[in-house]
Amino acid sequence: MLGARWYGRLWRRASAGRDEEAARELQDHLDLEAEDLRQAGFSLKESEYGARRAFGNATLIQEEIHAVWTSIVLEQLVQDVHYAIRTLVKTPGFSVVALLSLALGIGANTAIFTFVNAAFLKPLPYPNAGRIVVLRQRPLRPLQGIATATLVHPRSFVRWQDRARSFEALALAQPVPMTTEGADGAEQVPGLWVSPELFRVFGVRPFLGQEFSSQSGLGRVEARDGRVSEVILSQAYWQRRFGGDPDIVGKMIPAGRASAVVVGVMPAGFRVGSFNVDVYTPMRIERSRPESVGSRSFLCIGRLGPGVTLKSAQAEMELIAAQVAKEDAIEKEFGVIVTSLRDYLVGENRSTLLILSAVVGVILLIVCGNLASLLLTRGIGRQSELAVRTALGASRWRIVQQLGVESLILSGLGGVIGLCFGWAGSRALASLSETAVNFGQLSDVGLDGRVLAFTLALVGLTTVLFGLFPAWQVSQVDLQASMKSQRRGATGGGRVSTRSLLVIAEVTLAVVLLVGASLLLRTFSNLSDVELGFRPENVLTMRTLVVGSADSRATLTGAILERVESLPGVRAVGTIQFLPLAGMTNQGPFHFIGRPMPADPTSMESDVSTVSSGYFAAIGMEVLRGRDFGTEDRMASPRVALVNEAFVHKYSHEEDPIGRVIIGDWSNPKPTAIVGVVNDVRQNGLAAEPRPTVFLAQSQVPGYLTNLVVRTAMDPVVMAATIRREVRQVDPRQPFTDIQPMSHYVSTQLARPRLYAAFVGAFAALALFLATIGLYGLLAYEVSQRTHEIGLRMALGARPGDVVASAMWQGGRLVLIGLTLGTLTAFALSSVVSDLLFGVHATDPLTYLAVAFVFGAAAILATFLPAHRAAVIDPLTALRYE
Amino acid sequence: MLILRTLASGPSHGHEIAKHIQRTTDELLHVEHGSLYPALHRLERKGWLSAKWETPRDRNREFKYYRLTAAGRKQLSREESKWNRMTKAIAQIMWPSEAEH
Repeated sequence: MLGARWYGRLWRRASAGRDEEAARELQDHLDLEAEDLRQAGFSLKESEYGARRAFGNATLIQEEIHAVWTSIVLEQLVQDVHYAIRTLVKTPGFSVVALLSLALGIGANTAIFTFVNAAFLKPLPYPNAGRIVVLRQRPLRPLQGIATATLVHPRSFVRWQDRARSFEALALAQPVPMTTEGADGAEQVPGLWVSPELFRVFGVRPFLGQEFSSQSGLGRVEARDGRVSEVILSQAYWQRRFGGDPDIVGKMIPAGRASAVVVGVMPAGFRVGSFNVDVYTPMRIERSRPESVGSRSFLCIGRLGPGVTLKSAQAEMELIAAQVAKEDAIEKEFGVIVTSLRDYLVGENRSTLLILSAVVGVILLIVCGNLASLLLTRGIGRQSELAVRTALGASRWRIVQQLGVESLILSGLGGVIGLCFGWAGSRALASLSETAVNFGQLSDVGLDGRVLAFTLALVGLTTVLFGLFPAWQVSQVDLQASMKSQRRGATGGGRVSTRSLLVIAEVTLAVVLLVGASLLLRTFSNLSDVELGFRPENVLTMRTLVVGSADSRATLTGAILERVESLPGVRAVGTIQFLPLAGMTNQGPFHFIGRPMPADPTSMESDVSTVSSGYFAAIGMEVLRGRDFGTEDRMASPRVALVNEAFVHKYSHEEDPIGRVIIGDWSNPKPTAIVGVVNDVRQNGLAAEPRPTVFLAQSQVPGYLTNLVVRTAMDPVVMAATIRREVRQVDPRQPFTDIQPMSHYVSTQLARPRLYAAFVGAFAALALFLATIGLYGLLAYEVSQRTHEIGLRMALGARPGDVVASAMWQGGRLVLIGLTLGTLTAFALSSVVSDLLFGVHATDPLTYLAVAFVFGAAAILATFLPAHRAAVIDPLTALRYE
Repeated sequence: MLILRTLASGPSHGHEIAKHIQRTTDELLHVEHGSLYPALHRLERKGWLSAKWETPRDRNREFKYYRLTAAGRKQLSREESKWNRMTKAIAQIMWPSEAEH
């Protein structure tokens, strides 16, 4: 009320000034004229009258002056806006619900669009970025468990480089961390080992200094041992570590075991694919021996020549791959896939973004449906008002315009709030999804012109969807009928059925979302409840790369383990190559010595992992039988191994594996005796069943990549600094990175399912809420329209129970139709989400039942209140109502 | 144009303008005084006139005074030349022989 009065005052003040002035001016004229006439000898009355007569119609003239200053269209618009705001202020409940739901709908769409924009629409920051492509190899006979596209083998790469005509340049890159001096001692920075053509492929040159000199390239061993000679820094690292030193080019920085000269700094924002890179190191590929740099583990990036299409490049590469396959036994099983850099980067995020976009799109539809239905109700309520206005000469177009302006104001305001919501939402989502969605462009997620345009388009679209349609419907009033039945209200059958359709559509969409949400929620809960096979609480992990000879690697890890173990508060400590859940393992075929070799050597395969003694205790696994590794297992002593239950189950279930000797086709193979069995662990991710695994001893076959795993008596974060200091005492040049509690690491593995569940869950709840409101609104309206009829029926002897039942059935019918349609739709769409699910089937009947139950409860709630109101109608009042 | 012409000699208010026009045209162009005002406002909106509430020396109440702006002056001269051209053209049609001389 207060708002309305305040608004009215404001409105009057703004429009009054000029009119008042004109009135005063005209009055002045009349006064002067009258004065003249009086001086000419007329009486007071005569002169006033004469002045008026000479003047003409003062009111008309004043209006004419008013019209001089305002254009009609604008004036009408201002009137409409004025009228609309007054209406909105008068019904604060409706306005708040409408604005909030619109803001949520538009906000959610804006938030997701910021991601879609960054992923698909924003140009990549390279000149002619559309010509940059990624080449991958494709196994011609896809093996189980091997991805459809693999990284590239350098033996193929050099042949491609020699023969392919489609490309201006082809380059290889591989992430290799580099050890250097940080602010506090040795640190490992993310590095990228690149072939010299890389900068030409991206068309970007260092902004300080130059590219690598031609002789600076490194072979595999040098790169691994950190014998780097030249480095190029990223702009961010240059700023962070060297304070943007303008004279950095030519300076030496510690690199690996020696030092390297900085030859250049890349411009800000330059990146290769989605790699986070601080330093670039040069790669040298020996043409005669390309495999010396490594095997099928390189990203191959190319720049298409001018005018070359992706298709023709693909066709040429297929021919070349077929030639290479004939010449080279190693490469004979592989074809080539050429993809644009954009497609490569977006990768699996495509489906994530599509699903999220679909969810928010559906939400917006529900919001519009709901608003349309609310506006329709109001419109019908206002029918007699509109009829009177039509009778007084308002054109139908004018009325549509007025109602349209009302919707436009609603959606405009909703859009502004929605933009704020969207911005906040995209920030929140970006931080939440850092671990869940990663297409290397997350930093680009934000508001820009394109996002604003999108939001504006949404405002327009919503206005049309929820505003103009009801406006048109309402404006089609039958003048006479409407005015005659004024009191009784027009229960035009057609319009009510439109509203019913809207409610059915809302329920249908909400059911689809609810089914999706509960499936994803159950996936998340299933994943959270997965038997990990280890205990992540109170465990600290950190990663390092040990280099040097096998002996020195074994000695170094041995020394570190000894040192950390002696710390107070440390329960157990050990190392492993790849942490559990990482989805990375080595694997290879093996066989039992003393048993016949299998016909197909690949039929007996096992994962193989190198761990130190103490690892099982530290991570919280159990040695079920036999013994753990011990100090007696040294480099010179006989090789020993532990195996997991999956291994026993698959390869050795009919006899005790302990004491059996195996030999595997993994690095440095020797006969290895199985001395113990440990429990299964989710090594390859939460959703992957444990695979047969052989654990070798770090002290006998030391690896390079090493994760230190420490079980502490207290909060592991508190111990981190102490452990790090202790480790540094062993070798100050040995850097440790990714220091984090294991529990944190486990939770990042749940990030994506958590994101899905939280996101879809929140919106499903919103959809349920909106659909319930829609249903409630419809019934409340119907009951109020049928007061007279209900009163009559009760006067004729209907019991309140009958009235409640019939009113509730009216709503229940709609819910039932919606539920059926929604269930069918969800069923039809089940294949879309099945890839995202774990431990629950996309057509899980329990889920569908639960959704139906929830909806039933909501429907009862939404229908009971209006039905109850119908039942307490006093027949006398209702009949007199007429 | 008449209004602009009237105001060329100095600022004045609506009543004065009406009187002036009536006087100079020998009461030939007799129009309702009121119709003057929308015209004044139209000219003001176009920016050819500026208006200000002022108190004349011989009275103790404010009147709305109009004066010609620079744009108004330019418009006046434009309209005058147009008028001249038009009258000349009409004259040529009406009295062709005279115009030939």
